[in-house]
Amino acid sequence: MSNEIHHYTAEFQEFQQNGATKSPSWVNDIRSSALAVFTDRGFPTTKLEDWKYTNVSPITKLPYHYASVVSAVPSELVSSLFVDGIDQHLIVFVNGHFSEEHSKLNSLPAGVTVKNLISAYATHQEVIKEHLSKYATYNENPFTALNTAFINDGAFVHVPAGVSVEKPIHLLFISTGINGTYVAAHIRNLIVAEEGAKVSIAHGFSSAQANTNLTNVVTEVVAKKESVVEIVKVQRESDTAYHVENLHVHQYHQSNVHLFSLAVGSAIARNDISIIIDGESTECNLNGLYITSGAQLIDHHTFMHHIHPNCPSHELFKGILMDKSRAVFNGKVYVEPEAQKTDSKQTNRNLLLSDDAVVDTKPELEIFADDVKCTHGAAVGGMNETHSLYLKTRGISEGSARGMLTVGFAAEATQKIVHPVLRQHVDKIVVDHLRKKFGTANLPDIVHA
Amino acid sequence: MIEIKNLHASVNGKEILKGINLTVKAGEIHAIMGPNGSGKSTLAQVLAGHPAYQVTQGEVIFEGQNLLDMEPEVRAHAGVFLAFQYPVEIPGVSNSYFLKAGLNEIRKSRGEEELDSMQFLKMLKEKMKIVEMDPSFINRPVNEGFSGGEKKRNEILQMAVLEPKLAILDETDSGLDIDALKIVSSGVNKLKSPKNATIVVTHYQRLLNYIVPDVVHVLVNGRIVKSGGKGLAMELEANGYDFIREEMQQSA
Repeated sequence: MSNEIHHYTAEFQEFQQNGATKSPSWVNDIRSSALAVFTDRGFPTTKLEDWKYTNVSPITKLPYHYASVVSAVPSELVSSLFVDGIDQHLIVFVNGHFSEEHSKLNSLPAGVTVKNLISAYATHQEVIKEHLSKYATYNENPFTALNTAFINDGAFVHVPAGVSVEKPIHLLFISTGINGTYVAAHIRNLIVAEEGAKVSIAHGFSSAQANTNLTNVVTEVVAKKESVVEIVKVQRESDTAYHVENLHVHQYHQSNVHLFSLAVGSAIARNDISIIIDGESTECNLNGLYITSGAQLIDHHTFMHHIHPNCPSHELFKGILMDKSRAVFNGKVYVEPEAQKTDSKQTNRNLLLSDDAVVDTKPELEIFADDVKCTHGAAVGGMNETHSLYLKTRGISEGSARGMLTVGFAAEATQKIVHPVLRQHVDKIVVDHLRKKFGTANLPDIVHA
Repeated sequence: MIEIKNLHASVNGKEILKGINLTVKAGEIHAIMGPNGSGKSTLAQVLAGHPAYQVTQGEVIFEGQNLLDMEPEVRAHAGVFLAFQYPVEIPGVSNSYFLKAGLNEIRKSRGEEELDSMQFLKMLKEKMKIVEMDPSFINRPVNEGFSGGEKKRNEILQMAVLEPKLAILDETDSGLDIDALKIVSSGVNKLKSPKNATIVVTHYQRLLNYIVPDVVHVLVNGRIVKSGGKGLAMELEANGYDFIREEMQQSA
């Protein structure tokens, strides 16, 4: 048994005795079988095709300890993470533990549940049992296996049939360092939108300070028939932290899902986003923006699974790379033989602002139906000379032109966000981040057409 | 105002401009006409400073300074403006931010005070009347989702705000219907003064019914082969560019 596996087996024993007592026994069974898979497989190496461009050994070699202590974070920090006066429902977790103090859930529409998983067992055990660990299976992804072995707390969202939630629901996960410990939070989220439900969710990850925490998340989303679900992920953790998420969406007949992934944080971030389009005339929109600098590595592995006929899927990921940073985009589209009239479009565009930055971009189309429209395109390049000239002929300096065009490049991705509050939230984070990285306040706020 | 002497330029090693000579004085409007591929747009791009074009010979003196030695933004500061044939869309960045940034950099380079937002907006709204643009365009992203006509009007708005000494209009008439053409032309005419000059690059004579040139030059195969008054444009309209080619062959 390798040292890494030995470490996590010992961790698991301690976790079972001290940390995992609040969940029902069937959850414990899931944990044990997930641990068995993890100990059998171990962490992935770059020899595996799925992990070829992302070496996770910096994460696996550290003795991460599951966050057993509930840590406090100041409320000024929490409020600094939003636009002033943002109108939302908020649930906050610190190192994976629910923080009642910072959450604001008093104005939810009738019947809508937003609570932490541990307390949701008492009210929604049947729903949880029906869905938990049914989609993001732990057989393939070792981080998912590890997360499942350590299932403890996370967000639970349930929107009953026919109910619309107008204000966004914000799931906010803050990581905070604990001196002398490598803190791991294995966060487990479950989001269920019943038939005809409508909901928009912000899925935020931030750090309280520069830290080396590992945030290992699994989020399962069920979008039932005719539901409309938007999820906007905002990952801006400390650039010395590590972030892994398996975001798995299962959508049914005539549902409409919009996903957006903004990734600007952590030293290494790996996002697996899978969408199973399990119903006819079902629409899926998957978009994202990553901005890397320093020595960061941000990896998106997306999987769009077309099972039934007449489903459109649209995917646009854009990347801005600086310094010696790296990004990986792997976009898989799988079209089953029955999925005729699939209309799938995938685009990945990367703007390299440094000669030392590297992108690995790989579309992966597997099409087994004959009457489909599937396109993909990938581009990697520097600043467009003609665009740059246009600004300069108006008197704008090289530096300002670069800043404006970079903001413009980012805005083309963020304009895909549907909920105006979430779009504004992301736009501000993007521009603030670029201002910091460009070392100038002289960048425009984003406006959309 | 500007003196172009024996200008040669190439792109990707291919020579496009093969010795252009042209002098434009303050208060004048010059039209440069020519068939597709003759080098009209290249001349406009070279004057603006597009990095893809290499000047291999010749010089351009603008207001006593060597224009080709200047970075594109420095040319703009000195008073050169290019209205693009295909204006660039800049998603995310509002028209007003973009214009204010340009204007203030130009003012700064001249030692003038920068305008604050209030002063700028007041001025911008006045200038928008020149091209009959709706104030809603102020906060829209630059050219994004604009129709062809709106983009060209936006070019002339930028010219009105930046008040260049020399404006180069590259195929400003392309893609315009007659109403938009009239608005754009009337904008250009309103901005005309004895202190500034305009070079109108166009394939068709149509635009010159509205922006009346003092001199018309015909550019063929990288050289100006004929210059004349506004009647020359009419002649080209009636006979096409072939008669120029025939004249060239006869003289050769």
